[in-house]
Amino acid sequence: MIAQNFEYETPSTLEEALELLADGAKALAGGMSLIPLMKLRLAVPERVVDLRRVPGLNSIRVAEGQLHIGAMVTHYELESTPLVRRSSPLLAAAAASIGDVQVRNLGTLGGSIAHADPAADYPAALQALEAVIRIAGKGGERAVSAAEFFVDTFTTALEPGELVVEVSVPVEAAGTGVRYEKCEQLASGFALVGVAARVAKKGGKVSMARVGVTGLAGSSYRAKNVEALLEGTTGSAQDVTRAAAAVAEGKEANSDIHASADYRAHLARVYTARALRAALGTAG
Amino acid sequence: MKIHGSHRLPVGRERAYALLQDPEILAACMPGCEALVKVDEDLYEMKMKMALAAISGQFAGKVRIGDRNPVESFRLIVEGTGKIGFMKGEGLLRLREEGAETEVAYEGDVHVGGTIASVGQRLLDTTSKMLIKRFFGRLGERAQ
Amino acid sequence: MASTVTKTEVLFGKKMKRKEDPRLITGTATYVDDIQMPGMHHAVILRSPYAAARIKGIDARGALELPGVAAVFTGADVKDVGPVPCGASLPGLRVPHHHVLAQDRTYFVGHPVAVVVATDRYIARDAVDRIEVDWEPLEAVAEPEKALEAGAPAVHPQWPDNKAFDYHQEHGEVDKVFAEADVVVKQRITSQRLIPCAMETRGVVAEWKSGEKSLTIYTSTQIPHLMRSLVAGMLGIPENRLRAVAPEVGGGFGSKLNVYAEEALMGFVAMKTGKPVKWIESRRENMLATTHGRGHVDYYEIAAKKDGTIVGIKLKLIQDVGSYHQLLTPAIPTLSVLMMPGVYRCQNIRADIVGVFTNCVPTDAYRGAGRPEAMHGIERMVDILAAEMKMDPAELRLKNFIQPEEFPYATATGLTYDSGDYAKPLKKALGIAGYAALREEQRAARSAGRLMGIGLSTYGEICAIGPSPATPAGGWESATVRIEPSGKVTVHTGCSPHGQGEETTFAQIAADELGVDFDDIIVLHGDTAIVQYGIGTFGSRGTAIGGTAMYFAIQELKAKIKRFGAMMLDCDDVTFSGGRCVCDKTGKSVSIQEIAAASYRAMKLPPKTEPGLVATYFWEPPNFTFPFGAHVVVTEVDKETGDIEVKRYVAVDDCGKIINPLVVAGQIHGGVAQGLGQALYEEAVYDDSGQLMTGEFMDYCVPKSTMMPWIEDSNTETATPVNPLGVKGVGEAGTIGCSPAVVNSVVDALSPLGVRHIDMPMNREKIWKLVQGGAA
Ligand SMILES: Cc1cc2nc3c(=O)[nH]c(=O)nc-3n(C[C@H](O)[C@H](O)[C@H](O)COP(=O)(O)OP(=O)(O)OC[C@H]3O[C@@H](n4cnc5c(N)ncnc54)[C@H](O)[C@@H]3O)c2cc1C
Repeated sequence: MIAQNFEYETPSTLEEALELLADGAKALAGGMSLIPLMKLRLAVPERVVDLRRVPGLNSIRVAEGQLHIGAMVTHYELESTPLVRRSSPLLAAAAASIGDVQVRNLGTLGGSIAHADPAADYPAALQALEAVIRIAGKGGERAVSAAEFFVDTFTTALEPGELVVEVSVPVEAAGTGVRYEKCEQLASGFALVGVAARVAKKGGKVSMARVGVTGLAGSSYRAKNVEALLEGTTGSAQDVTRAAAAVAEGKEANSDIHASADYRAHLARVYTARALRAALGTAG
Repeated sequence: MKIHGSHRLPVGRERAYALLQDPEILAACMPGCEALVKVDEDLYEMKMKMALAAISGQFAGKVRIGDRNPVESFRLIVEGTGKIGFMKGEGLLRLREEGAETEVAYEGDVHVGGTIASVGQRLLDTTSKMLIKRFFGRLGERAQ
Repeated sequence: MASTVTKTEVLFGKKMKRKEDPRLITGTATYVDDIQMPGMHHAVILRSPYAAARIKGIDARGALELPGVAAVFTGADVKDVGPVPCGASLPGLRVPHHHVLAQDRTYFVGHPVAVVVATDRYIARDAVDRIEVDWEPLEAVAEPEKALEAGAPAVHPQWPDNKAFDYHQEHGEVDKVFAEADVVVKQRITSQRLIPCAMETRGVVAEWKSGEKSLTIYTSTQIPHLMRSLVAGMLGIPENRLRAVAPEVGGGFGSKLNVYAEEALMGFVAMKTGKPVKWIESRRENMLATTHGRGHVDYYEIAAKKDGTIVGIKLKLIQDVGSYHQLLTPAIPTLSVLMMPGVYRCQNIRADIVGVFTNCVPTDAYRGAGRPEAMHGIERMVDILAAEMKMDPAELRLKNFIQPEEFPYATATGLTYDSGDYAKPLKKALGIAGYAALREEQRAARSAGRLMGIGLSTYGEICAIGPSPATPAGGWESATVRIEPSGKVTVHTGCSPHGQGEETTFAQIAADELGVDFDDIIVLHGDTAIVQYGIGTFGSRGTAIGGTAMYFAIQELKAKIKRFGAMMLDCDDVTFSGGRCVCDKTGKSVSIQEIAAASYRAMKLPPKTEPGLVATYFWEPPNFTFPFGAHVVVTEVDKETGDIEVKRYVAVDDCGKIINPLVVAGQIHGGVAQGLGQALYEEAVYDDSGQLMTGEFMDYCVPKSTMMPWIEDSNTETATPVNPLGVKGVGEAGTIGCSPAVVNSVVDALSPLGVRHIDMPMNREKIWKLVQGGAA
């Protein structure tokens, strides 16, 4: 568990960082995924670019109905900042469910989504929130939706040399009920499955449902079939069960020593129902 | 670890079979493959560089094709060794005509050892599926 | 001031914070990795990635070219280093030659193949990647029952049947009682392979002083003296020129009750290179290459009469040995056999053990070592019998207990249980849990469709291991007690505590006996240059044997103190108590401090008395001790997911007299955590090719503090007559009592579905499948 020698850079502007990254260097955010990989020599970057001193990546602000979060904001900041808890309780809940205190103190939003672990927590929330991810590269900036960003296991829409700079999610409208329900893999704390739900009701009917799922398949996804089955119903217990039953349809469930594919798919249905029930309980 | 699955190629069976035996095509489509050199009938030496998010590793290995039953099925054996461990995959690929397309079904066993085996359990299944998917995706592109 | 007043406070039995803890929790303790030496080099070991492979060649040139690399050693270089020792012997035991580095073949993933020595760890690690090994992978077998099948790959080619040993023990009329029994129940029960996971991994620093021709080995061990004797033999150096030091040791749980290849290897490397060398095991290496525990497949049969009286027990035990015998590997399952009747009055037993080689890291002692397996077996079987006979499991136990008046009790396995009152902790635990009310609650829960379970275990175990004839290396313990000229007290114990708190409990005993302040006593251990020969800390023996040795050393000192006191007071009859010698006639007194000063100043000496106040005592115990207890566990199973919630955990343990209730509670809590780990979460999983699939904490689940239930712990106190302190031992009890109680509870929860047994670990998916499909 001893890393290979590497050079360490601490650029103080985004341009400088992007320059170094374009040269093949590896970005370092909280180091909670990268450093263990380096110590196991599963990652052997020759040069590491610490983003900590890059200004502007730490901000949390609300503008035009959107909550904008810098890539370097830590899990702990997301979980504990009143502005985030108020504006996007779902994102705050996903952050709070990550790992342990030490990991949350260092790990960052940008690092987590760039790493795209198929069992990470944020992706479920970001899918349900239809988040927009702002990406910067030497050639300029672009923005992609969460659905486009998470491509596959450890694979995102990021091109080599690009950085996540900001993630934007809608400020939750009053009356929207949200919930993140996670079944932890007990050894690592990662999600066997994690389900993020957002629902709103109007005139006794579910007017909006958004469901994001992590851990089940190679990548996080938005379970649109569940949403469609729930929208327009009264959100009764049966409605929820019926809708939740569709969550794994068409997905190839992962299997490992911790859970078979069948069991994961079952858990996804159970946790979807739990998340929806809880979200409906707070939707007004 | 047992693996199985199927992918579709947008070409007829003859063409699909030929593509799957063509070292140049294989080299171009296998994720991370940097070189594939024929050393014997049905035996190739391979150099691979895997890069998955932060994870990267180099492998040297062999690709062997066996049990040829032209246009119906064949066996593919891929072995690789590197500093982060080794892997050996063996699978039977079956080709089935589906109109103008071909469905390739695979079934086999993957063994990994070294660091990747003892620290990567949680991710082996999903990663191997993704790599296979990438392979067929690229092959599909080439086929057209 | 302590030196002038009579001490009356008794510390034996008092809750006291541990002397050890401030340094441990402030990071000021010295572990092996904290040792720095000028010119120190660092070693990193190249290990086999294959469970079985031939080594056709090793090319280390690339490593040697790297600036900073001092040397690379491979199997050929260490051919003459003696084999890693197996200290246990059984008739017909097959002992493969266990070289410190693999020769032409490797036998498990993690097998050491070469060692690189360099000026820093980073260079050494880089250099390891530059060693080219020409491997020829071979077929491996990782599962003991598969290894026994005809045609299985041979772990050691010379023994194609993969059998490491057979062992048979029998007593009474087994066939007869089984033939005549009203009920016979059978069950296959496993105790899975576990990884001990001490918080501190292993580590060694070796320093060779060429001028003095002496070697010092600092190592994270539970047995520094035995390590020294055995490693001196392996390296061919005189024992008195090898100093072994166990500095602060961050847990062992049996995994450091061993002599490892790396200990001799670092000694060898230091001698060859002339440099002090440090090797620190990584967590991954720890999981791959430090001994594992358990690894049983047990086939049980138990026979009973209509009224529930247990009349016979049969056991076929398959022990997964792994690739080699480590220090005590073959002895561990024999401990299971010794304890197989548990706390029950059953005189007809038959046990057959087969030890099986597999291409895995060797198994050896792990918290409880053989007894958790035995208690898990018998306590599961008693529950299965109770279910079969539709009897209450508590009632069935009460019916079969050995009764208090039957002690000392000779068991069918040849032991003599010292003392016990098994109904006492059971009744107390049932009382605390509110057993009758819980059964009511369970009835209500069941009719509401909920899966609630109540499980209990009543365990007994062997501690204070043990009388010398029963152990491979001497079962006594030693102590030297030195009262310094100032009256401060230094105790040298031959034990090697590594988390047990003996520095505290020993000081409590010594403070009472000598009447000195608790803070005036220090307890030293773990350095063979300072401490007289000793055995070590394992098998819950430290206080019962090591503490007793100290007690007797103090008795000798007290006699001497009285001679000095009599002389100083010019009085024939003196009494020593509370730190003062008092003349019975005049009432005049001198303090122990004054006596200490006088004994060293030696202006005048009592007749036939040497100066100074030092005594050494080696105590040979006449018997083991046998603690016992009862655990009651309430669980509820989530039908939807298979999750198990431990709702109540009641532990009533009897470890004899209690010196420090805090230390006892700490040992029980830690033990229960490890028992819960086995029952619910932990398993070392190897795939068919012998790759360890749980080689990191990402995949190997130890319970975290947040996963622990509240433990309602209390005690009963039944003194042992085996030692004058009346103490039995408590290091392993929590683990031993835990796993059967938890499994019994979950089986009870699922019993309405027809479930009769569940193997550990009871992970969610396993439970979910049972809920789906019913009986197992
Ligand atoms: C013990 C433990 C438990 C954990 N449990 C969980 C859990 O339960 N749920 C969960 O979701 N996660 C968990 N994690 C992962 C954790 O959330 C990590 O913090 C996160 O995955 C990576 O974030 P980081 O800031 O630490 O990134 P780093 O480790 O620094 O980087 C990760 C990767 O992202 C790249 N990167 C970093 N920042 C950027 C950027 N701005 N733009 C582009 N690329 C970037 C890096 O180059 C690297 O490839 C756990 C980690 C540990 C160690």
